[in-house]
Amino acid sequence: MASYNLNEVLKKKKKSETNANGEVKLDDVSRVKVLSPTMQVFKRFIRNRLAVFGSVVIIVLFVFCFLGPLLYPYGQKQTFYKYESINVKFGVATENTSYTGYVVDPSITVDVNANSYMTTYIKELLASGKTRTNKLADDGNFYQVDILGDNVVAMSQRGDVEAVASFGSSVVDVATYDAVTRSVKYKGEELGSDFEKKVASLKGNSGKFTLDGVEYSYRRGTGKNYIISTSKEGFIYSGAPLSSDFEDKAEKAEPGDLFSSDGIEYVVVVNGDTKTAYRVGEARIAKVFTSYVIDLYDNSVKVTDEFRNNALLSAYTTGKFTADGKNYTLVDHDDVLTIYDESGKEYGEFSNFIIRRSNGDDTIEYEAKVHIREAIEDMQDKGLQTSQFTTRLPQQTADGQYAYDENGTLLYDDESEVRVKQTDRNYELWANQVTYVIDRFAAPSTTHILGTDGDGFDVFARVMYGGRVSLMVGFVVVLIELIIGVIMGGLAGYYGGWVDNIIMRAVDVFYCLPSMPIMIILGGIMDAMRMDVYRRLFIMMIALGIMGWAGVARLVRGQILSFREQEFMIAAEATGIKVKDRIFKHLIPNVMPQLIVSATMGIGGTILTESTLSFLGLGVKHPLATWGTMINSVSSASAMAHYAYIWIPVGLLISFTVIAFNFIGDGLRDAYDPKGKR
Amino acid sequence: MLKYTVKRLLYSVVILFFVMLIVYSLMYNMPGNYLETKARELASRPGAGKSYTEWLNDLNAQYGMDKGILRGYFIWLKTALTGNWGDSWTWTIPVTLEFHNTVWFSFILSLISFVVEILVAIPLGIMAAKKQYSFADYFTTVFAMISISLPTFFLATLLKYVFSVKLGWFDLSGMQGRDYAELSQWGKFLDVAKHFVLPGLTLSILSIGGLMRYTRTNMLEVLNSDYIRTARAKGVPEKKVISKHAFRNTLIPLVTTLGGSLPGLFSGALITETLFSIRGIGFASYNSMVQGDIPFVMFYLTFISILTLLGNLISDLLYAVVDPRVRLS
Repeated sequence: MASYNLNEVLKKKKKSETNANGEVKLDDVSRVKVLSPTMQVFKRFIRNRLAVFGSVVIIVLFVFCFLGPLLYPYGQKQTFYKYESINVKFGVATENTSYTGYVVDPSITVDVNANSYMTTYIKELLASGKTRTNKLADDGNFYQVDILGDNVVAMSQRGDVEAVASFGSSVVDVATYDAVTRSVKYKGEELGSDFEKKVASLKGNSGKFTLDGVEYSYRRGTGKNYIISTSKEGFIYSGAPLSSDFEDKAEKAEPGDLFSSDGIEYVVVVNGDTKTAYRVGEARIAKVFTSYVIDLYDNSVKVTDEFRNNALLSAYTTGKFTADGKNYTLVDHDDVLTIYDESGKEYGEFSNFIIRRSNGDDTIEYEAKVHIREAIEDMQDKGLQTSQFTTRLPQQTADGQYAYDENGTLLYDDESEVRVKQTDRNYELWANQVTYVIDRFAAPSTTHILGTDGDGFDVFARVMYGGRVSLMVGFVVVLIELIIGVIMGGLAGYYGGWVDNIIMRAVDVFYCLPSMPIMIILGGIMDAMRMDVYRRLFIMMIALGIMGWAGVARLVRGQILSFREQEFMIAAEATGIKVKDRIFKHLIPNVMPQLIVSATMGIGGTILTESTLSFLGLGVKHPLATWGTMINSVSSASAMAHYAYIWIPVGLLISFTVIAFNFIGDGLRDAYDPKGKR
Repeated sequence: MLKYTVKRLLYSVVILFFVMLIVYSLMYNMPGNYLETKARELASRPGAGKSYTEWLNDLNAQYGMDKGILRGYFIWLKTALTGNWGDSWTWTIPVTLEFHNTVWFSFILSLISFVVEILVAIPLGIMAAKKQYSFADYFTTVFAMISISLPTFFLATLLKYVFSVKLGWFDLSGMQGRDYAELSQWGKFLDVAKHFVLPGLTLSILSIGGLMRYTRTNMLEVLNSDYIRTARAKGVPEKKVISKHAFRNTLIPLVTTLGGSLPGLFSGALITETLFSIRGIGFASYNSMVQGDIPFVMFYLTFISILTLLGNLISDLLYAVVDPRVRLS
């Protein structure tokens, strides 16, 4: 009895009835073949065209999402770059107004303060309209500042300084009165007894008195000493008196001025009312200061100190100089000093503009520099903020390198458009340059089938990885729903009574729970906590599962309630099968068809929910790809209009997936329940 | 009937109590010092009107956030039952006022799509059932499936792309045109109506599918029943069979579900309203949720929970009213 199998019997029968003429009899195997229930369902299922379509879509999608990435060369978080000719700030021009000093004679030690005050000295000098001044420095030397011409200043040291005389109204101590010994000690000539009497009556710390028309002042020294002084006109020599020629010239000289008398040079320094004349030694040029910046025609050559110093020092004199064994000529072209080499070719120039590349390198070509400088000067003349001109810039290859010809010389692009824009004191130089940039929003091409997104990620790769996440979320959430739902529904349906009551009230509560708002709130909270993307995904799946089990539980309970009263369950109870086995081996398998249908539909629904959440930016987060986040990244009005090639395929994919799951679910329902009225 | 209604109502109140308990626990368990941050942010806003401590005290007084979870829940319940829902953090006006300002836009939008849905879905569903397995049947089945499966945001974006960007017929979002202020009363009405077209279309397309399938299923069920066979057998014209015998009976489940979805007209369309910037309750609540506006969110969640329960109740009651065979117990 147990070994009886209709199909086997029929097969045996067929073997015994080998029909030579192929006639089909009424009881032939092909006519009365009995199918297993699963086969029946399967047959009915594949007869449904929509369901087959759905299955094919899902299978293709699975292969695409889970096997595709293995064959596709790009990852989901791989950023792509490209070389693109874009208008960039390739350089900055600054008008230099500050003076920089270059050492001419390294053997001279320049006073630190004098050196740092140079800028002030130069300003003073320029304001006064004079070209030369001398300043006494803390090291006892004089420093002579000479304006050689526009923007070039020489600093020379004058040593052998000696104060020779002080003049003007100078305060001279005449005597000291000791109040204890009541004695007067004179510094110079004696002033007589009247003076001494007066002095003896001095009181207080300081004061003035007049005697014989001469005003004296006194101040208290240490102890009971009074120092009496008076102001004196005329020259007071520290050494031997000098000629009247000296005195004339000294009186006329303004502070800092140099004058010579009897073949010796002197400088006058003013300190309050007192002027002091110093004898000074020979001037030796220590440094040269300039606000000019040198640009050489060949910008690979390094400027030597000798070259620069000699050029600057000769600039406003002979215009000829020798450096490093070569002769050069220098011509002053109003604001610019142009240097020519021996053959008369342009060698370089001094100008007030520092023209550098954006990265600070001084690699801009001489000719371009000249053009830029001229453009800026033109702008300054006309009071413009921007200007545009063409110049010669190096050609670039497609990958941003400079282009060379076969001889290894740089190629130039004669028609490079350069735009100059003034910002504050700088002039920005804008030109088209081939730059290495993130390949954002690249249109679909052979390298990127669906183009790239706003982060330079390959959209096609992200579609595949996003599909993985979306499908995984769908399956995991439904699995969670099924586990909770089947257990709860099974318990409620089987036991009934108070268990059923409690569980079904929980089901009612969860049914009523507004899941979308709660997911949005949850997303907001996770946003506030800046949670890790993978943890977020995990929490989201669990939350969706918990929120969705009520439907499954209700379904299972309803089914079980109807099965419980049927004969096979009574039989199972009568044979003494364990409760656990009765529920899970006899009841649940009967609920399976309904469960499978609802689960299939549930996957589609979950994918829809997940993508909506991700679209709102509250589900799976960037940089992890899901279909929802991919659409979200181009959801702004302008991006939406321009990058339709990103969101339309992805949106269609979501729709197709959900439709396919629904078709399968529908098909399965029809297949399981052919008498159903759909 | 009355007894049943009262019983169901009491029962709904119990469910609501637990639903809100879950929602409250979720709010209560917001990450640590979230409330402090929020209160500080609120107090630093221009025209906040309250200081940091005032906001925090307010919050604690209203939500009992500083008490235990259960005590806090009862404190919230007590204040809420007295009609005091507090001030919205996002909209800086009383929650009930913001609700009043927005809910009618949502209602109008939902009503439009509800009417369109009924007008399109029921005739199509009946037609599909009438000619089962015909091309029209297949077409409606597929269309219904697509309608159920389309993500709201994708459909909305697609409609915007086609009708706003490409054709330029409608504005991308918002409820008023640029020159709204200069329009006449009638012009203003037309302007707003025009801005409701795309969101209304979105909602309609998405809801048509479900109702269409439902109509078809029920119509098929009715058409397979004995009394239809009897009617046909006794020679009633097919037209009359459909319109009188079959359709009227199909109406029973339809009226039940449609009646049950009536309260839902007030619940607002969260995503559609947000995407089209329709200042309805869905839009308001979405922004509140994202910004952690607890007062408004609690109110909104209570509101839609009540609507859901009300919908279930109405649908069950209608079932008994429409179908005399059903007796409530």
